[in-house]
Amino acid sequence: MRPPVYALVGTPNCGKTTLFNALTGLNQKIGNYPGVTVEKHEGTAYSQHGQPMTVIDLPGAYSLAARAPDEAVLRDVLLGRRADTPQPDRIICIVDATNLERNLYLVHQVLDLGRPVILVLNMMDLAARAGLRLRLGRMEQTLGLPVIPCVAINGTGLLELKLAMSRHDLPLSRHNWDVPAPIAAAVTELQASLTNHDGKPPLIARAEALLLLTDRDSVRVAGSTPLHPRTAEILRQWQQRWAAEGTDWAEMLVNARHRSIARLCANLVEHPGAAPTGRSASDRIDAVATHPWWGWVVFIGVMAAMFFSIFTLAEYPMNWIDGRMAALADGVKHVLAPGDLRDLLTNGVIGGAGAVIVFLPQIMLLFFFIGLLESTGYMARAAFFMDRLMGRVGLNGRAFIPLLSSHACAIPGIMSTRTIEDKRDRLTTILVAPLMSCSARLPVFLLMIAALVPGDRVPVVTKVGLILFMYTLGAAGAFGFAWLFKRTLLKGAPSPMILEMPPYRVPALPAVVRQMWERAWAFLGSAGTVILGISIVLWFLTAYPKAPAGATPGAQLAQSYAGRAGHLLEPVIKPLGFDWQIGIGLVTSMAAREVFVSTMGVVFNAEGGKKDTTPLREALRQATWPDGRPLFTPLTCFTLMIYYVFAMQCLSTLAVVRRETGSWKWPAFQLAYMTGTAWIVCFVVVNTGRALGF
Amino acid sequence: MDQSPQTSSQPAKGERIRLTDLPVGTAGRVCDLEGEANVCARLREIGICESAVIERISGQHTLLCQLCGTRIALSDSAAKYIMVERLNGQKPKG
Repeated sequence: MRPPVYALVGTPNCGKTTLFNALTGLNQKIGNYPGVTVEKHEGTAYSQHGQPMTVIDLPGAYSLAARAPDEAVLRDVLLGRRADTPQPDRIICIVDATNLERNLYLVHQVLDLGRPVILVLNMMDLAARAGLRLRLGRMEQTLGLPVIPCVAINGTGLLELKLAMSRHDLPLSRHNWDVPAPIAAAVTELQASLTNHDGKPPLIARAEALLLLTDRDSVRVAGSTPLHPRTAEILRQWQQRWAAEGTDWAEMLVNARHRSIARLCANLVEHPGAAPTGRSASDRIDAVATHPWWGWVVFIGVMAAMFFSIFTLAEYPMNWIDGRMAALADGVKHVLAPGDLRDLLTNGVIGGAGAVIVFLPQIMLLFFFIGLLESTGYMARAAFFMDRLMGRVGLNGRAFIPLLSSHACAIPGIMSTRTIEDKRDRLTTILVAPLMSCSARLPVFLLMIAALVPGDRVPVVTKVGLILFMYTLGAAGAFGFAWLFKRTLLKGAPSPMILEMPPYRVPALPAVVRQMWERAWAFLGSAGTVILGISIVLWFLTAYPKAPAGATPGAQLAQSYAGRAGHLLEPVIKPLGFDWQIGIGLVTSMAAREVFVSTMGVVFNAEGGKKDTTPLREALRQATWPDGRPLFTPLTCFTLMIYYVFAMQCLSTLAVVRRETGSWKWPAFQLAYMTGTAWIVCFVVVNTGRALGF
Repeated sequence: MDQSPQTSSQPAKGERIRLTDLPVGTAGRVCDLEGEANVCARLREIGICESAVIERISGQHTLLCQLCGTRIALSDSAAKYIMVERLNGQKPKG
């Protein structure tokens, strides 16, 4: 007999994930719902008798009406529409006790399903502080289900919840409300069809009928069972009839539900006279954090501190990882005889894995800070600030977080677009995210700056100024193309932002750290495997066909498949001031941009890694065209940096875009528009530079 | 009585206006949601439905509002659909 399955359901910011982590501890696994890019969080809790209970943490939503893929998954799992996920036996609804009436809409819909429900009132400490008194006994009696007061963040109420979950005899709710008379006939007919043709149990059928009648823009995702044609026809006929009568049936149903909830809460929530007056701590912080002027100061300060921390703190673990990878490669060289196997392991496997792992500290730190800002409640304020700027290019403030994440790596940024409801906004954000300069571009920028600036040491101001310029150029490109796409290819007004801003809280560090690990692991899983595979393929392209015995590494590279590709590429890149040797670097950096640096090292027979660029810098300065002209002029170095700002040179990003969009069309378009833009901009820059005498 | 020209453009108490026209620092009772059905449905789900009391705290393009003790950020394109009846205001000078 399978363990009972509990679904954990709640609105955003109610503490659902905190409760899930408290219930399941380390007994969790994260996967994906098949066919759709929504994470599946499943864990195991244990009853008072030590029996396992499966808990599925469903995506947060305000209602079962789905407007985004994750909300569609919530709806489909609860209605038993997904073959890959069993319909839950029981449901745990968690609500924010400080705002019961507002949070009960989803619960009201869930109670329609006729499944045993346990209602958890979270943040009871905050409710008490706000002077609210919740009549728990009356609530249990009225609703006919267990009501558990809880403070998930410190575990209060967890034991009572587990005891409730352990009960064999959880009652069904006494929930009953009046569907408006004009709609009742439609509900009855739809319910009958869902029962007879779609095989739904009667109560589920009624809940689904109500949802179908209010769900205007029903998002369907892969894995969701479609309606029986007869049911779909009944729905269509009623919708047409009401459209002809001018009846807003959806509004009627929603208002009826709200009235039912209001009547419920009138008897269950008390505000004894001594409620605290005056501004809360959140109000006082928001007076500054959301101030039209001071708010920007706070925002820029927070972002600057975050990025400064990421790029400085990450340096130590990155250097350590670099050193360990080099030591591992040396160890392999020591053990194995020279040959293809040794090369494959050192350059292909270790080199490829190293290219991913070395950036993990930056990515993890970024996830940590984003999680920290989300946990404190500030991230919603940041989205509020950015909404105006995003609105100018056709997006809304929610697109800010994926674009911000893309500064570490576009892959987690693209994956986090799943929270953007509007399909066109989401696609636009995915298409422009790689233009936000990622960490992998930094080694290329640093090498080019070292070659570009005369002398042995580059002044810090010059270095920072040039890097900042490149970052700004990338961001400008991202916003520019977002503006263009929202007016042409993905035409549409920006979807309005409707975002609840949670009260400020002390961050729950264990939850933040756990989330950081989960996201980093997801990144390694999706990007790491792709980069490793591509690195091995590229190793093959650089290692074959073999040069005559005794040839230098540079000579081998020159006549390899990659070298031949570089030669083939030369007519296209020569107008930009690049030759076939740089062309090889452009080809190999499709695995990961920073591979350009090591490739140049091989091409120009220079030792030294990403940090110690001195020998390579000298080798680049001495490199020439066949006619003796310097190859890496300051203009060429500058142009190459700009090329890397705009060009799409990360096959693993393209693979993730393919997965997130479900089509090869969009990654192909992304590759074309970004690389085309890079070529055009570099052509303009190099010719303007030459005209000005550079 | 001297009939001086009306100098205040502030909506009077009880006047039905869009949330975007509600002055900062004032509260209104939601009387209707008029506009794109999807957006109105979303507003209702988050609790902005008829007879809810909403206070405009700040913002122009993106409004910061307070509803049942919760702060909500609304783009003006959503806020313009919310018709409110001003609760605490002053009559225009007459």
